[in-house]
Amino acid sequence: MAYYQATKDPTTDIRERTYVPELLHGLAVTIRHFMRNLFFPRDTNTDVLNRTGTSQITTVSYPEEQVTYPPGYRGLHRLVPREDGKPRCVACYLCATICPAQCIHIEAGEYETTDASADSRVIEKYPTSFVIDELRCIVCGLCVEACPKDAIRMDTGRHTPSEYTRSGFVWDIPRLLEGPPVNHPSDPWLKRPGSERPAHAHLEKHARIGEGLVPLKLPRPAHPVRTEVTSGPVPVTKFLRD
Amino acid sequence: MNRTLKILSVAILLVPGVLFGISWAQYRVGGWLAESCPVFHTQLQLCDTGGTSLAWVSALLFHMLLFVMVLATLLTVAERKWSAFTQDRIGPERARIGPAWMRKHSFGGLPHVAADALKMIFKENTRPKAADRDRILFWLGPVLAFAPVFALAAVIPFGPTVPVNGYAISAQVANPNFGLLYVLAIASLAVYGTSLAGWASNSKFALLGGVRAASQMISYEVALGLSLVGMMVAFSTVQLPVLIGSAAAGTGQAQYLWQGSVLGLDFGVPAWGIFLQPLGFLLFFTAAFAETKRAPFDVPEGESEIIGYFLEYSGMKFGTFMISEFIEVVVLSALITAIFLGGWHLGFAGDVALAQGLGKSHPVLYGAFCGAVFAMKVVFLCWFQLIVRWTFPRFRYDQIMTLGWKVLLPLGLFNLFASAALVLLDPSLHWLAVAGLLEIAVLAGLTLTRKAPKSGSGHEAAGHGTPDVHALPAAAASAHH
Amino acid sequence: MSPKDNKPSSPPPPAAPPAKPAPKNPGFVTLNIDGKEVTAKPGTNLITAAKTVGADIPYYCWHHRLSIAANCRMCLVESSTSPKLVPACQTALQEGMSIRTDTERVAEVRRSVMEFLLLNHPVDCAICDQAGECKLEDYYQRLDHKPSRLEGGKILRNKRKVLGPLVVLDQERCVQCTRCVRFMDEVAKEPQLGMFARGSEEYIDVFPGQQLTSNYSGNVVDLCPVGALLNRDFRFRARSWFLSTVASVCTGCSRGCNTYVDFMGQDVYRYRPRENDAINQSWMCDQGRLSYKPLNLARVQAPSLGRADDRREVTAAEALLRATAQLKAMAGTAELAVLVSPSCSNEDLLAGLTFAKDALGVRHLYVGGRPDGAADALLMRADKNPNRKGLAWVSAGLGLSLEPFAALLKAVQAGTVKALYVLGAEVPVDEAEAARTLAQVEFIAVQATNVTPLTETADVVLPTATHVEDEGSFVQEDGVVQRVRRAFPPRGSTRGHWNWAVDIMREFGFPLTYESARDVFRELSPKVPELASFGWDSEAPPLKTQRGLQPLATGADGRPPGYREFGAPRVRGI
Repeated sequence: MAYYQATKDPTTDIRERTYVPELLHGLAVTIRHFMRNLFFPRDTNTDVLNRTGTSQITTVSYPEEQVTYPPGYRGLHRLVPREDGKPRCVACYLCATICPAQCIHIEAGEYETTDASADSRVIEKYPTSFVIDELRCIVCGLCVEACPKDAIRMDTGRHTPSEYTRSGFVWDIPRLLEGPPVNHPSDPWLKRPGSERPAHAHLEKHARIGEGLVPLKLPRPAHPVRTEVTSGPVPVTKFLRD
Repeated sequence: MNRTLKILSVAILLVPGVLFGISWAQYRVGGWLAESCPVFHTQLQLCDTGGTSLAWVSALLFHMLLFVMVLATLLTVAERKWSAFTQDRIGPERARIGPAWMRKHSFGGLPHVAADALKMIFKENTRPKAADRDRILFWLGPVLAFAPVFALAAVIPFGPTVPVNGYAISAQVANPNFGLLYVLAIASLAVYGTSLAGWASNSKFALLGGVRAASQMISYEVALGLSLVGMMVAFSTVQLPVLIGSAAAGTGQAQYLWQGSVLGLDFGVPAWGIFLQPLGFLLFFTAAFAETKRAPFDVPEGESEIIGYFLEYSGMKFGTFMISEFIEVVVLSALITAIFLGGWHLGFAGDVALAQGLGKSHPVLYGAFCGAVFAMKVVFLCWFQLIVRWTFPRFRYDQIMTLGWKVLLPLGLFNLFASAALVLLDPSLHWLAVAGLLEIAVLAGLTLTRKAPKSGSGHEAAGHGTPDVHALPAAAASAHH
Repeated sequence: MSPKDNKPSSPPPPAAPPAKPAPKNPGFVTLNIDGKEVTAKPGTNLITAAKTVGADIPYYCWHHRLSIAANCRMCLVESSTSPKLVPACQTALQEGMSIRTDTERVAEVRRSVMEFLLLNHPVDCAICDQAGECKLEDYYQRLDHKPSRLEGGKILRNKRKVLGPLVVLDQERCVQCTRCVRFMDEVAKEPQLGMFARGSEEYIDVFPGQQLTSNYSGNVVDLCPVGALLNRDFRFRARSWFLSTVASVCTGCSRGCNTYVDFMGQDVYRYRPRENDAINQSWMCDQGRLSYKPLNLARVQAPSLGRADDRREVTAAEALLRATAQLKAMAGTAELAVLVSPSCSNEDLLAGLTFAKDALGVRHLYVGGRPDGAADALLMRADKNPNRKGLAWVSAGLGLSLEPFAALLKAVQAGTVKALYVLGAEVPVDEAEAARTLAQVEFIAVQATNVTPLTETADVVLPTATHVEDEGSFVQEDGVVQRVRRAFPPRGSTRGHWNWAVDIMREFGFPLTYESARDVFRELSPKVPELASFGWDSEAPPLKTQRGLQPLATGADGRPPGYREFGAPRVRGI
């Protein structure tokens, strides 16, 4: 009660000292809100900033209504595939290095020299394991900025789906790899003899990675893609070989 | 607009219709009871005590059990829904019942009443180990909290006494000639329930709540009684039906102070308590809030600090505490209606015409109409109490005591003596009414002429007196307003 | 180039060879580099001399232990002795000469050379193991920092030529500095590498039909300033910026080569040679380079009791109680023998042998240790135990005599040994056979770092920390005492040998207060005259240690200690 302060404060006048007019003004405020919200329909599924209705209710009745995301919303990351279906990732660890949440875990492998795959002649390093702990991820997008190979993007516009176990939030390559295959003129397999493009077509200068790309808004999958959740510890980086 | 129409139709048609129906049924059943049990038959006599025939049973059934109890129950969910509206929220809407087409609609959250009730009833009824010693008192707590407030409703006239089948049927369970004194006496009994609950729970917080409740309720008893004395003096009675009066006879609050007539329709300024005793009304309303232990006087409960005297209660025992609080809201609304708002009378126009027209030709319909008017006033006051509860923050404990003893009590005494002097000077109540209307005019003038708060200094206007560091720059502030 | 291009401060080239001035400082050469006077011994390289006044001359092909090739042209500087720019690595110091390394002309030439070197260099940094410790990266950022002007494709070569068991070559990344060729010719004296073809087609390769099988092949990886030569053992296992570094000593043989231990979390990823003129110069052998593996693999991590099928892991206290009870019963009798390995550090030996002498009451020690192996003329020694000299010193200082391992086997077969206390489970003979013989002993307590047949037959196994998990010192074969630093906390429940010895002595009732290897050395080394004068602290200042969790030492990369101290992102709570 501001009664005491009000009666002692020389700047107050009788209205504040008797307190009752101020009470009535307060009541007027709440009654005004009550009436507006009671009698007028609520804006549903409207962005808060675009609301025009008389009702001032801001609650969103999820899940029937959902807040629309701002245009800059990126969503969950994904690994970009090459044309042969393998991830573009070369396990350079730059994303794992930049990641402020330390949620990316990579294990690098080397294609065998005897590998029949044509890629193996030009691509030596690949991720044997690429794991993102979505619980740790803060969706900052620094990994996308850091990637020199356009191998990780955040353009799905999706949330991390819910899971029953913590280990379910640890996404591996099969779960992360999605979207159409992507090629860049600077890709090494396009510069080698035998590839579809001329071996010496020097295009790096004119094709900057990620330029002119249309954001990929993937549809919400009816049944979430889910890899088998195994119990036990999630692997930590161990590059040790015998 | 669809929503607006829907809500207006409910407010204008459905609710009054239902209330009219309840009142009509009460008179009909009362008449039937009086007729079928002639043992208790007495002479047809208006404004008689209601208890002389079995008709009081119908009043008990329809007004106390049906109207008061159901309204109190609905208020539990109304409080949540209405508070949501004042706070720009949606409020309860998730409980759905019935077939698929019904489940599409939230019905304003009404199914939550059923959900809440089922939860209360089927919840495990625990008793703390420490309360074993006083288990009878522990059990008695909710009973003593509930019984007095419910019993208060017995003397409230929910409608006029009208002749049905040749018997005088009143809408009142009892009409003792000590009416208001009964109210004051029984209301003060409620403190036993809270005190016992707090004591028997054997818990520090519950005891603290009980002690707070006891001291608060006892403090405000005084102001509560004093604020009513003015009305008793003005009408020289303590009987509620007499206070309300009769439009046909021009007595009580139904009389016009200044009246005119156009085409046979009477109009004028009624002698309502709120016009005769605006200060008394304000004091009574404040004191009544303190009696209900609701915000801003909810220190006994104080959910953010001590939880309150019912801390150790669960299940329907706690539910009893809760429902008695809401019953108190309804009963106090009814009391205010009867004492200050002219009871079942429309007030400003048409009362006499109605009483002499419909009242003579179809007395039951007239009675039911009056009952509906009374109930609508009660519903409005319930809503108003809820709005007040969600507008004002909780007082500090010493502020409550200061307000009770240093503000309300002196003002009540002043009001009593001034009113009594005015009544002595002019028994026709005109001077009293002039004084009351002047009080209202001054209050309205003060409220409407409030100086605009200095731009961006809401804090200062509230009396904090420190320059507001969050104030917007002058240009931005003027653009803002 | 006209003199106008020079900075006004730079001296004009002289018209005629000046008369040789008298030396300013007799016995030394005095010259001027970037306006600062430098006094150097005759024969000092200009790059080294320039470093003393803070002039950092970039270079690829020069190495202070290799012959001068001057073929990378990065170290070109302005000299008063020549109108043209001269390669700093090849320019002999002259009295009174004036050198400028900071003129625009030099900067422009450096930039041009960088552009030339990068002309055909693939932008492989993402997958290149050298990234993070690559001179090409560093100099590009520092000196060039401009896009390539090459039109048309880069020259394509073999990107993965496996040269030998330890080295793989990416010919595209090579800048033809020939450091590797010169190293194999001049230091390893096994000329297995050569330059082939001419001009822009030039490339490094092994001679036809050969492989890079030298025992010093790992050094060419260290020498390679770019990512052309890579270590097959380390390749793709960790990015260099994840690794932290601590100075240590190779324990592969008694040579005691100085090393850097590169580690992440509690795993060691590689050894690199550390400069030491007296012992290993800049090199180390491949065998020693790979000797880090037992630090990670097949470690004994928890104390255990019981032989074979009765083996169960127990707490340290329980294992100590059992060992104490058994050993106390036989202390002071001839039935109790102590086997000690010359692989233990001085501190381990000081504490362990003190325990053997004072608590167990033995007078003779049986010496175990790894068996002898191959040796060569450069660095590798036949004695594969890093601290045999230290064992000799400590045992002599404590008045204990040493007996060969064969004597222990004989005594066991004769049945005179009933209990055996083992400090370091290495044995100089076939491990399985020795374990079978030693199994006849009634009670064996072993302090061991790795799982061996002997730990399988032991009654009590006390897991022991390795030399990278604790502070310590080793005595090299020539009697040089060298300190090793702790890289990370001991794995699992392991403790240092000295720590177990001190713990058992406490169980025996000796009121010891040693808390660290430093305490042990300070308290016990005075008994050993050779060690007494060793500056344990001055050689490597003590880490600021406190109780509880201890942060790791800062790595060579300047990352704060504890950065990714336990590897990659670890998912907690699963």
